Amino acid sequence: MRKALLENLNIRCRHGNSGKYKMILLWQVLVNGVLLGGIYAAMALGLVLAWGVLHIVNVAHGALIMLGAYVSYYLFTFIGLDPFAGMPLSMIVMFGFGYLLQLYLLNFMIKAPMFNTLLLTFGLAVIFANLAQFAFSADFRIINPVYAGDNFVWLGATIPLVRILAFGVAMTLTLFLWAFLTYARYGRAIRATAQNLVAARLYGINPRKIYAMTFGIVGAFAAASGVLYGVVWQINPYIGSNLTAKSFAIAIIGGLQNPLYVIVGGLFLGIIESLSSLYLGPTYSDLVFFGILVLILIVRPTGLLGKTA
Amino acid sequence: MKTLLFLLAAFGLATIPWWGSASFIQFCIDALLVAVLAQSWNIIGGFTGYASFGNSVFYGLGGYGVAISMLQFGLPFEVGLCIGALIGTSVALILGLPILRLRGFYFGIATLSLTFTMTSLVSNISFAGGNIGLVLPIGPSDTLFFELSLALLGAATLTVWWIARSRFGLGLVAIRENELTAAVMGINTTLYKVLAFMLSGLLASLAGGIHAYWITFLDPGSAFDLSLNVKMIIMTVFGGPGTVLGPILGAFSLSAISEMLAFYITNLANLFYGFVIVIAIIFMPRGCIDLALHYREQGWRYFLENIKKTKI
Repeated sequence: MRKALLENLNIRCRHGNSGKYKMILLWQVLVNGVLLGGIYAAMALGLVLAWGVLHIVNVAHGALIMLGAYVSYYLFTFIGLDPFAGMPLSMIVMFGFGYLLQLYLLNFMIKAPMFNTLLLTFGLAVIFANLAQFAFSADFRIINPVYAGDNFVWLGATIPLVRILAFGVAMTLTLFLWAFLTYARYGRAIRATAQNLVAARLYGINPRKIYAMTFGIVGAFAAASGVLYGVVWQINPYIGSNLTAKSFAIAIIGGLQNPLYVIVGGLFLGIIESLSSLYLGPTYSDLVFFGILVLILIVRPTGLLGKTA
Repeated sequence: MKTLLFLLAAFGLATIPWWGSASFIQFCIDALLVAVLAQSWNIIGGFTGYASFGNSVFYGLGGYGVAISMLQFGLPFEVGLCIGALIGTSVALILGLPILRLRGFYFGIATLSLTFTMTSLVSNISFAGGNIGLVLPIGPSDTLFFELSLALLGAATLTVWWIARSRFGLGLVAIRENELTAAVMGINTTLYKVLAFMLSGLLASLAGGIHAYWITFLDPGSAFDLSLNVKMIIMTVFGGPGTVLGPILGAFSLSAISEMLAFYITNLANLFYGFVIVIAIIFMPRGCIDLALHYREQGWRYFLENIKKTKI
């Protein structure tokens, strides 16, 4: 893809007009990066919620995304339900899964040191990945609706239909979660519990239920981003660890204060990944991104948008 | 008396190559090297309280030090091992200075990113074999590798034993419990942390060098393997972080468990490994050593007390 693009560019350059085509290429890559970044933001959303509210470093987040993607895959393949239409259903399934997981397992570890919950969720990630491999086989799957190949041209950049749909859904969900946490009664109860457990209890909040509810939302948003991932890329039981690492990176860049900040982190990752894949080569994108992440951590440990300590 | 017992145990282990089967010896070499890695993580994670996800960086650097000096420069293995250890330790110094300023989970994320950065960096250097990897010459017999790994584990354990009873180790524990207080008490926290990180890097890169020559193959994915880093953390925590013998106990027992699982229920082995982790973390979060110390007085209540402390 990249080679073809660059060759094409070189041919065009020899015929003059090189500046114009370089600009078009850059524009296309930026658009790709933004579309990618929106999906990344949706992925990191659940992670930020679990981290900020429950103080759980959820290493199993990528595995939850993977499970959500499989729910949607089976809904699409066996019932023929369109992935975007079936998204609420996968979200409900994974909400229940997350709710029960928190209520009957994670609540027993909630006061443990952060590092122990990290290891616990790592164990869960191993279990989920292996169960998925046992149940769904290790083959790569793709959710392939009829409009998967459609695209259109906007301001000179080619935009695949599913990507812009996925981007739109991701942004809507992020805004929805932000509004829910800020204005809804339940959302405010969640934030109150995160801020001061004792005070929240005095106001009649049952933290066990609130925590379960929160992790249910984490599961639901993981499912939604899993559907988006499955539509745009391919899924298999082992995609989880990579997605967890990316989600962490986004959470770090954006900081934990506000779910809207993950959009910044997501766009940052998406654009850097696209730019470095084009100009340096796809094998360099991890190097550039994680290198920048380390630098950001050293200079601003609370994230780009976070408050300085 | 205790010293005598340890010497006897070490001697018993050292005789394994003369009576064990070939596959058992190979399992033992693997377990010994993983135990060295667990000890190396124990220094920075268990004693100092800095959960490093970057020990696999040193492990990989040790391996690449050996591979590159043997293949590209024609140096003998011993020299390569020293070069690998030197690179690992100096990288620990250079990276440790800025990164050890981060606390808690941010340190974990930074070291995790280093692992990804290193994988990506090495796979773009053709001199180091790129993505394809390097094939090393066939090494000497497994017996030699076994004794070498055992000696390294002995050295690592002696180092940790010295740390546990020295002023340096007390300083590290003070940093783990409360870094600010430690600094106020007059401990040069930066120096102590960087030294601990360097020691950890030294042990991990030595283990990586031996492993690379033993397996005779090295590629970025397996050299900077993140799951190996998680493995050493789990083994240390399972055995008992911040103790001298805990990491060895954890490494040996978990290696044996996963080997047996792989033998009896091939395709579900990893699944059960996950269950072992989850159950161990919930019921005995401070490891086997702590369990052994308190089980006699508390009995089964020990497990319930652990849950009571952490549940809501």
